[in-house]
Amino acid sequence: MEPNEIQVGLAAAVEEVLETMCFTSVLASGEGAAPAGMGAGHRTASVSERTSAGSEETVPDAAARSCTAELHFEGNPSGGCRVSVPLKLARVVGAGFLGSEEMEVSDSQAEEVVCELANMICGSVLSRLESEETFRITHPQLVPPERGAGFENAAINRWFDLGDGILTVTLELQPAI
Amino acid sequence: MELRVLIVDDSSVMRAFIRRVLELSGLEIGLCLEASNGEEALRVLENNWVDAVLTDINMPTMDGEELLRRMSEHAVLRLIPVLVVSTDRTEGRVQKMLTLGAKGYVTKPFAPETLREELERSLAVVNGTE
Repeated sequence: MEPNEIQVGLAAAVEEVLETMCFTSVLASGEGAAPAGMGAGHRTASVSERTSAGSEETVPDAAARSCTAELHFEGNPSGGCRVSVPLKLARVVGAGFLGSEEMEVSDSQAEEVVCELANMICGSVLSRLESEETFRITHPQLVPPERGAGFENAAINRWFDLGDGILTVTLELQPAI
Repeated sequence: MELRVLIVDDSSVMRAFIRRVLELSGLEIGLCLEASNGEEALRVLENNWVDAVLTDINMPTMDGEELLRRMSEHAVLRLIPVLVVSTDRTEGRVQKMLTLGAKGYVTKPFAPETLREELERSLAVVNGTE
Protein backbone atom coordinates (compact mmCIF):
# COMPACT_ATOMS: atom_id res chain seq x y z
CA MET A 1 0.00 0.00 0.00
CA GLU A 2 1.49 3.31 -1.09
CA PRO A 3 1.60 6.23 1.38
CA ASN A 4 -0.12 8.45 -1.19
CA GLU A 5 -2.94 5.92 -1.51
CA ILE A 6 -3.41 5.99 2.26
CA GLN A 7 -3.45 9.80 2.33
CA VAL A 8 -6.13 9.90 -0.38
CA GLY A 9 -8.23 7.30 1.46
CA LEU A 10 -7.82 9.13 4.75
CA ALA A 11 -8.83 12.48 3.24
CA ALA A 12 -11.92 10.98 1.60
CA ALA A 13 -12.93 9.17 4.80
CA VAL A 14 -12.69 12.28 6.99
CA GLU A 15 -14.58 14.44 4.50
CA GLU A 16 -17.34 11.82 4.21
CA VAL A 17 -17.75 11.51 7.97
CA LEU A 18 -17.77 15.25 8.64
CA GLU A 19 -20.14 16.09 5.81
CA THR A 20 -22.70 13.33 6.39
CA MET A 21 -22.72 13.17 10.20
CA CYS A 22 -21.69 16.66 11.35
CA PHE A 23 -22.82 18.76 8.37
CA THR A 24 -19.35 20.34 8.36
CA SER A 25 -17.10 20.91 5.37
CA VAL A 26 -13.33 20.65 5.17
CA LEU A 27 -11.86 23.95 3.93
CA ALA A 28 -8.35 22.61 3.36
CA SER A 29 -6.25 19.61 4.28
CA GLY A 30 -2.72 18.39 3.94
CA GLU A 31 -0.14 15.82 4.95
CA GLY A 32 1.80 16.00 8.18
CA ALA A 33 1.33 18.66 10.85
CA ALA A 34 -0.84 21.72 10.18
CA PRO A 35 1.04 24.86 9.11
CA ALA A 36 1.73 27.16 12.05
CA GLY A 37 -1.03 29.65 12.81
CA MET A 38 -3.65 27.90 10.72
CA GLY A 39 -7.18 27.50 12.11
CA ALA A 40 -8.93 29.80 14.54
CA GLY A 41 -9.28 27.05 17.13
CA HIS A 42 -5.68 25.94 16.93
CA ARG A 43 -4.36 28.29 19.55
CA THR A 44 -1.77 27.60 22.16
CA ALA A 45 -2.91 30.23 24.62
CA SER A 46 -2.30 29.57 28.26
CA VAL A 47 -3.01 31.18 31.58
CA SER A 48 -1.09 31.25 34.80
CA GLU A 49 -2.66 29.57 37.80
CA ARG A 50 -1.49 29.68 41.37
CA THR A 51 -1.26 26.22 42.89
CA SER A 52 -2.19 25.33 46.45
CA ALA A 53 1.50 25.37 47.30
CA GLY A 54 1.68 28.99 46.26
CA SER A 55 3.79 28.48 43.15
CA GLU A 56 2.61 29.69 39.78
CA GLU A 57 2.37 27.31 36.87
CA THR A 58 1.21 27.69 33.30
CA VAL A 59 -1.75 25.61 32.17
CA PRO A 60 -3.59 25.59 28.85
CA ASP A 61 -6.79 27.67 28.85
CA ALA A 62 -10.10 26.06 27.96
CA ALA A 63 -9.96 27.14 24.30
CA ALA A 64 -6.52 25.60 23.83
CA ARG A 65 -7.30 22.27 25.49
CA SER A 66 -7.37 19.47 23.01
CA CYS A 67 -9.46 16.35 22.90
CA THR A 68 -7.93 13.17 21.50
CA ALA A 69 -9.58 9.82 20.87
CA GLU A 70 -7.74 6.66 19.89
CA LEU A 71 -8.65 3.15 18.86
CA HIS A 72 -6.81 0.10 17.60
CA PHE A 73 -7.64 -2.47 14.96
CA GLU A 74 -6.52 -6.01 14.23
CA GLY A 75 -6.48 -7.46 10.75
CA ASN A 76 -4.26 -7.10 7.75
CA PRO A 77 -2.91 -4.55 8.42
CA SER A 78 -3.23 -4.00 12.18
CA GLY A 79 -2.66 -0.59 13.70
CA GLY A 80 -4.28 2.38 15.34
CA CYS A 81 -6.14 5.57 14.56
CA ARG A 82 -6.04 8.79 16.55
CA VAL A 83 -8.24 11.88 16.08
CA SER A 84 -7.36 15.12 17.84
CA VAL A 85 -9.18 18.45 17.92
CA PRO A 86 -9.15 21.55 20.14
CA LEU A 87 -12.01 21.31 22.64
CA LYS A 88 -13.61 24.40 21.10
CA LEU A 89 -13.76 22.66 17.71
CA ALA A 90 -15.02 19.49 19.37
CA ARG A 91 -18.01 21.51 20.63
CA VAL A 92 -18.64 22.97 17.15
CA VAL A 93 -18.50 19.53 15.53
CA GLY A 94 -20.56 18.09 18.40
CA ALA A 95 -23.24 20.74 17.86
CA GLY A 96 -23.48 19.74 14.20
CA PHE A 97 -23.68 16.07 15.14
CA LEU A 98 -26.33 16.56 17.82
CA GLY A 99 -28.28 19.28 16.03
CA SER A 100 -27.90 21.68 18.92
CA GLU A 101 -26.17 24.97 19.70
CA GLU A 102 -22.46 25.00 20.50
CA MET A 103 -23.14 26.38 23.99
CA GLU A 104 -25.49 23.46 24.74
CA VAL A 105 -22.82 20.82 24.08
CA SER A 106 -21.12 19.67 27.28
CA ASP A 107 -17.46 18.71 27.44
CA SER A 108 -18.38 15.05 27.88
CA GLN A 109 -20.71 15.12 24.87
CA ALA A 110 -18.03 16.82 22.78
CA GLU A 111 -15.52 14.15 23.84
CA GLU A 112 -17.95 11.35 23.04
CA VAL A 113 -18.56 12.82 19.58
CA VAL A 114 -14.80 12.88 18.96
CA CYS A 115 -14.67 9.20 19.96
CA GLU A 116 -17.46 8.46 17.47
CA LEU A 117 -15.63 10.42 14.78
CA ALA A 118 -12.51 8.31 15.40
CA ASN A 119 -14.61 5.16 15.15
CA MET A 120 -16.27 6.17 11.89
CA ILE A 121 -13.11 7.59 10.30
CA CYS A 122 -11.20 4.41 11.13
CA GLY A 123 -13.93 2.15 9.76
CA SER A 124 -14.27 4.22 6.62
CA VAL A 125 -10.56 4.45 5.87
CA LEU A 126 -9.98 0.72 6.46
CA SER A 127 -12.77 -0.23 4.09
CA ARG A 128 -11.30 2.07 1.45
CA LEU A 129 -7.86 0.54 1.82
CA GLU A 130 -8.74 -3.11 2.39
CA SER A 131 -12.36 -3.69 1.43
CA GLU A 132 -12.12 -7.49 1.52
CA GLU A 133 -10.47 -7.72 4.93
CA THR A 134 -12.44 -8.15 8.18
CA PHE A 135 -11.03 -6.06 11.03
CA ARG A 136 -11.58 -6.25 14.77
CA ILE A 137 -11.77 -2.67 16.05
CA THR A 138 -11.50 -1.70 19.73
CA HIS A 139 -13.74 0.85 21.39
CA PRO A 140 -12.43 4.40 20.99
CA GLN A 141 -10.90 5.80 24.16
CA LEU A 142 -10.00 9.34 25.16
CA VAL A 143 -6.25 9.85 25.40
CA PRO A 144 -5.00 11.71 28.48
CA PRO A 145 -2.92 14.79 27.49
CA GLU A 146 0.14 13.41 29.28
CA ARG A 147 0.22 10.42 26.90
CA GLY A 148 1.50 12.63 24.08
CA ALA A 149 0.38 12.88 20.50
CA GLY A 150 2.02 10.09 18.58
CA PHE A 151 2.17 6.35 18.08
CA GLU A 152 5.33 4.38 18.70
CA ASN A 153 5.58 3.08 15.16
CA ALA A 154 5.80 5.13 11.99
CA ALA A 155 2.48 6.82 11.37
CA ILE A 156 0.68 8.78 8.72
CA ASN A 157 -0.59 12.21 9.72
CA ARG A 158 -3.08 14.50 8.02
CA TRP A 159 -4.62 17.81 9.11
CA PHE A 160 -8.03 19.21 8.19
CA ASP A 161 -8.97 22.89 8.50
CA LEU A 162 -12.65 23.16 9.45
CA GLY A 163 -12.67 26.94 9.79
CA ASP A 164 -13.19 26.83 13.55
CA GLY A 165 -9.99 24.88 14.09
CA ILE A 166 -7.79 22.04 12.93
CA LEU A 167 -8.69 18.38 13.19
CA THR A 168 -5.72 16.03 12.92
CA VAL A 169 -5.79 12.31 12.19
CA THR A 170 -2.92 9.93 12.81
CA LEU A 171 -3.02 6.47 11.31
CA GLU A 172 -0.55 3.79 12.32
CA LEU A 173 -0.25 0.75 10.10
CA GLN A 174 1.86 -2.14 11.33
CA PRO A 175 3.51 -4.30 8.72
CA ALA A 176 2.02 -7.77 8.31
CA ILE A 177 4.01 -10.50 10.06
CA MET B 1 -49.21 4.18 11.78
CA GLU B 2 -46.86 5.43 14.46
CA LEU B 3 -43.67 3.40 14.72
CA ARG B 4 -42.14 2.15 17.95
CA VAL B 5 -38.39 1.66 17.64
CA LEU B 6 -35.53 0.57 19.88
CA ILE B 7 -32.08 2.08 19.28
CA VAL B 8 -29.18 -0.01 20.64
CA ASP B 9 -25.76 1.65 20.72
CA ASP B 10 -23.18 2.09 23.49
CA SER B 11 -22.65 5.72 22.48
CA SER B 12 -25.27 8.08 23.88
CA VAL B 13 -24.44 10.72 21.24
CA MET B 14 -24.93 8.17 18.44
CA ARG B 15 -28.29 7.15 19.92
CA ALA B 16 -29.23 10.85 20.00
CA PHE B 17 -28.10 11.26 16.38
CA ILE B 18 -30.17 8.29 15.17
CA ARG B 19 -33.18 9.45 17.18
CA ARG B 20 -32.91 12.92 15.61
CA VAL B 21 -32.58 11.49 12.10
CA LEU B 22 -35.67 9.34 12.64
CA GLU B 23 -37.68 12.25 14.01
CA LEU B 24 -36.71 14.47 11.08
CA SER B 25 -37.13 11.73 8.48
CA GLY B 26 -40.85 12.15 8.03
CA LEU B 27 -41.55 8.73 9.53
CA GLU B 28 -44.15 8.81 12.28
CA ILE B 29 -42.18 7.84 15.37
CA GLY B 30 -44.50 7.20 18.28
CA LEU B 31 -41.99 5.77 20.74
CA CYS B 32 -38.21 5.74 20.64
CA LEU B 33 -36.63 3.49 23.26
CA GLU B 34 -32.88 3.22 23.87
CA ALA B 35 -30.42 0.63 25.17
CA SER B 36 -26.64 0.78 25.48
CA ASN B 37 -25.91 -2.91 24.71
CA GLY B 38 -27.58 -6.16 23.69
CA GLU B 39 -28.32 -7.33 27.21
CA GLU B 40 -30.08 -4.07 28.05
CA ALA B 41 -31.96 -4.28 24.76
CA LEU B 42 -33.32 -7.76 25.63
CA ARG B 43 -34.54 -6.43 28.98
CA VAL B 44 -36.31 -3.54 27.23
CA LEU B 45 -37.90 -5.99 24.77
CA GLU B 46 -39.23 -8.14 27.65
CA ASN B 47 -41.65 -5.36 28.53
CA ASN B 48 -42.08 -3.40 25.32
CA TRP B 49 -43.19 -4.33 21.84
CA VAL B 50 -41.40 -2.40 19.10
CA ASP B 51 -41.83 -2.36 15.33
CA ALA B 52 -38.08 -2.31 14.66
CA VAL B 53 -34.69 -2.57 16.38
CA LEU B 54 -31.73 -0.52 15.13
CA THR B 55 -28.51 -1.91 16.56
CA ASP B 56 -24.80 -1.31 16.50
CA ILE B 57 -22.49 -4.36 16.47
CA ASN B 58 -19.44 -3.43 18.52
CA MET B 59 -20.74 -2.94 22.08
CA PRO B 60 -19.59 -4.05 25.54
CA THR B 61 -21.39 -6.70 27.66
CA MET B 62 -23.40 -8.09 24.71
CA ASP B 63 -22.66 -7.11 21.13
CA GLY B 64 -25.10 -6.72 18.26
CA GLU B 65 -24.28 -10.11 16.81
CA GLU B 66 -25.26 -11.91 20.03
CA LEU B 67 -28.38 -9.75 20.33
CA LEU B 68 -29.42 -10.76 16.84
CA ARG B 69 -28.72 -14.43 17.60
CA ARG B 70 -30.82 -14.33 20.80
CA MET B 71 -33.67 -12.56 19.04
CA SER B 72 -33.66 -15.05 16.16
CA GLU B 73 -33.94 -17.93 18.66
CA HIS B 74 -36.92 -16.37 20.44
CA ALA B 75 -40.42 -17.27 19.26
CA VAL B 76 -41.73 -13.69 19.46
CA LEU B 77 -38.68 -11.46 19.19
CA ARG B 78 -37.68 -13.10 15.90
CA LEU B 79 -40.68 -11.36 14.33
CA ILE B 80 -39.19 -7.90 14.96
CA PRO B 81 -37.13 -6.58 12.04
CA VAL B 82 -33.56 -5.68 12.98
CA LEU B 83 -31.58 -3.03 11.13
CA VAL B 84 -27.84 -3.06 11.78
CA VAL B 85 -26.16 0.38 11.99
CA SER B 86 -22.40 -0.10 12.18
CA THR B 87 -19.03 1.30 11.12
CA ASP B 88 -18.06 -2.19 9.97
CA ARG B 89 -18.68 -2.36 6.23
CA THR B 90 -16.65 -5.43 5.41
CA GLU B 91 -18.53 -7.89 3.20
CA GLY B 92 -17.97 -10.82 5.55
CA ARG B 93 -19.54 -8.98 8.49
CA VAL B 94 -22.51 -7.71 6.47
CA GLN B 95 -23.25 -11.21 5.17
CA LYS B 96 -22.94 -12.72 8.65
CA MET B 97 -25.45 -10.27 10.14
CA LEU B 98 -27.90 -10.78 7.28
CA THR B 99 -27.55 -14.56 7.66
CA LEU B 100 -28.31 -14.24 11.37
CA GLY B 101 -31.57 -12.54 10.49
CA ALA B 102 -30.92 -8.81 10.10
CA LYS B 103 -33.34 -7.30 7.60
CA GLY B 104 -31.07 -4.39 6.67
CA TYR B 105 -27.60 -2.97 7.13
CA VAL B 106 -26.53 0.68 7.20
CA THR B 107 -22.89 1.67 7.53
CA LYS B 108 -21.76 4.71 9.53
CA PRO B 109 -21.33 7.38 8.33
CA PHE B 110 -24.72 7.46 6.67
CA ALA B 111 -26.89 10.11 5.09
CA PRO B 112 -30.22 10.62 6.92
CA GLU B 113 -32.21 9.52 3.88
CA THR B 114 -30.24 6.25 3.73
CA LEU B 115 -31.33 5.32 7.25
CA ARG B 116 -34.95 6.14 6.47
CA GLU B 117 -34.94 4.18 3.22
CA GLU B 118 -33.30 1.13 4.76
CA LEU B 119 -35.68 1.17 7.74
CA GLU B 120 -38.69 1.44 5.45
CA ARG B 121 -37.33 -1.40 3.31
CA SER B 122 -36.77 -3.58 6.39
CA LEU B 123 -40.31 -2.96 7.59
CA ALA B 124 -41.68 -3.70 4.12
CA VAL B 125 -39.82 -7.02 3.99
CA VAL B 126 -41.35 -8.11 7.29
CA ASN B 127 -44.82 -6.88 6.37
CA GLY B 128 -44.65 -8.73 3.07
CA THR B 129 -45.09 -5.63 0.95
CA GLU B 130 -41.77 -6.06 -0.81
